[in-house]
Amino acid sequence: MTTAISPVRYVRDAAVFAPCYIALDWASYIDPVGPFNITPWNPQPALAIVWMLLGGLQHTPIVLATIFVADMLVRGAPGGYFVTLLTTVILGGGYAVIAWMLRELLGNAGLRSSRELTVFCAVVVGGTTLVGGAFIGVLRGAAQLDESSVPAAWLRFWIGDAVGILVTAPLLLAAADRERRAGLLVLARRPETALQMVVLLATMWLIFQGLGGDPRDHFYLLFLPLIWIAVRGGMNGAIGATALVQLGVVAGLRSDAVPAFPVVEIQALVAGLTLTGLYLGVMVDERERAAESLRESLRLAAAGEMAGAIAHEVNQPLTALSNYGQSALALLGAPGGARPQLAAIIEKMLQEASRAAEVVRRLRELFRTGTTRLERVSAEELAASVRRIAQELIGPRAITLHLRHAGDLPALYVDRLQVELALRNLIANAVEALSAQPVADAAVEVRLLREGDDRMRIVLGDNGPGLGSATRARLFEPFVSGKPTGMGLGLAVSRAIAEAHGGSLEARPGPRAEFHLILPCAEPS
Amino acid sequence: MRRAQLTVYVVEDDASVRDSLALMLGLGGYRTALFPDAESFLSAYRDDWTGCVVADLRLPGKSGIELQAELRARKSALPFVIITAHADVPTVRAAFHADAVDFLEKPFDHAHLRAAIERAFSREGHRLQRAADNAKLAALTARERDVLEHAAMGLHAKEIAAKLGISPRTVEVHKTRIMEKLGVRNIGELVRFAIAAQPREER
Repeated sequence: MTTAISPVRYVRDAAVFAPCYIALDWASYIDPVGPFNITPWNPQPALAIVWMLLGGLQHTPIVLATIFVADMLVRGAPGGYFVTLLTTVILGGGYAVIAWMLRELLGNAGLRSSRELTVFCAVVVGGTTLVGGAFIGVLRGAAQLDESSVPAAWLRFWIGDAVGILVTAPLLLAAADRERRAGLLVLARRPETALQMVVLLATMWLIFQGLGGDPRDHFYLLFLPLIWIAVRGGMNGAIGATALVQLGVVAGLRSDAVPAFPVVEIQALVAGLTLTGLYLGVMVDERERAAESLRESLRLAAAGEMAGAIAHEVNQPLTALSNYGQSALALLGAPGGARPQLAAIIEKMLQEASRAAEVVRRLRELFRTGTTRLERVSAEELAASVRRIAQELIGPRAITLHLRHAGDLPALYVDRLQVELALRNLIANAVEALSAQPVADAAVEVRLLREGDDRMRIVLGDNGPGLGSATRARLFEPFVSGKPTGMGLGLAVSRAIAEAHGGSLEARPGPRAEFHLILPCAEPS
Repeated sequence: MRRAQLTVYVVEDDASVRDSLALMLGLGGYRTALFPDAESFLSAYRDDWTGCVVADLRLPGKSGIELQAELRARKSALPFVIITAHADVPTVRAAFHADAVDFLEKPFDHAHLRAAIERAFSREGHRLQRAADNAKLAALTARERDVLEHAAMGLHAKEIAAKLGISPRTVEVHKTRIMEKLGVRNIGELVRFAIAAQPREER
């Protein structure tokens, strides 16, 4: 699978790639085993792999040539040209296979889910193990390494390549991805990021210089700023932070400030740090995406339920309008004397039109600004609504409605449509609970009570199976539903409505399922 | 069948929709009777009502479909047209299972409503015709019924007489009586009546 590109572009990309690769090879040629490129930090394979991953395998010849030239320039082809040729084929071929596998398994390797990250890590760790084995094997076969140093050399090569790729490839992939690049730029402009960088650098200074002694002893301190950065910045933050840590470690090594570093072990710690950071980052991203899509569907679902209730309201005046219009047409066709009747009909049509417009206006207000159209709703009207909704929902089932209200209840001051929607959700819950598990004398109970001077408490209960405390705690979370077919949005929407009115909705503990809806009353007039 | 016998019974809780329906149907030449809910319809209902019911699905108290079920339980065959401002598939299914003529979503096209009412009226017309026929048939004696059945098979008076063991003249007398009772003018109409009546007697 290759992408066709023009020869000019091919040459231009190669002219950028080769010097970068050679420079990275030179910069990372530290603490080697013998004269060979067996070092504990090898970022240049990441460059080759990402280039072949994004650009296609047609770049493989350039990669091979560059590896060969780099070995000559940086190390003077220490094993002779034949050995350099062999190792070049092993390295270049191995990187090409890794790139091909990532491309097959991940596509563009955006590293957006923990699954993608796991595949990426597994391919990189497995691939570098095999490449390292072949590389060391060739050197051993050419009698360039003695038997005893083979395991240590293999480990060093493997750690160097694996850490180099795990740290550098995500950074390169992020730089190549427009969305990620934009995310990194946004992150870089945050004041918090500067503070995070300072803390990270200060921690590294403490580990390598400030605290003295073996840097391995205090390496764990680096996890603290890394966790902070990954939790706040997600994958982008983690990628940036791990790259910075790696650069800091390498700078420490190159400056020779501290002699006798246990480099391989420190790089192993960097590998652990990198994996932790990347996984934390990708999970923070996944969680953020899930939360965003949840918010989106909540908005849609609330809109959908509201639209259903309002479709009913708006279709009534439309029906009347259509009927009056048809009547007016019929009258026009009739011979003579229809004028007074026509005027009366047109008057009614205007009334119906403004009735429809009113419903639509209220709908638009609700969705645009969340404002509601408050009106006085007397306790009797509320009771009538409850009765109508309950009868409609109960249908032919053997469920009774017990509706009780105190004598001197003040009128509510609420949006009637919204409150009816909330009541509908609550009564529907009760009816479904009673239908799911039939009980003797199944009943929905609704009580209207005075709450202080300016509120009404509406208590809705049923004698169904009741709520467990675990269910009660999660009741209002969207998408938590006890019903096999439920979306679990009804209660969340109902509570939102109650709170928009300055009221509340809560489930009360007790053997019975009982909801308390508190709504504000009209000013005493 | 005379149209004037048939009435459109509108059961609708929304006052504007009810008023406008009455006006439109009245101008369209239908006789209407209006009810704000199922209960007031049921308390006024009489067995001899004919026509069709146009009922809203959502009503305070009994729904339109429940009203239909209640009437069926009272052995009324009044056809129903259900209208609703907010339909979902389960309620439409319920309406058709309960034998509604049509299910219209508001705002509906007046031509659709008219077509539905006409279908309901024609169903009602057939039902009334059948009821009248059955009433006439019930007035026949057992022997007259035998004669009618054989006549329906196309047998002549002599053949019928031979089969029933009576004289051809008696058969002719029976035929005349049958034609009087059923209100038919000739043997052709008699045969048609007999054929039309037969399958229903089997029910």
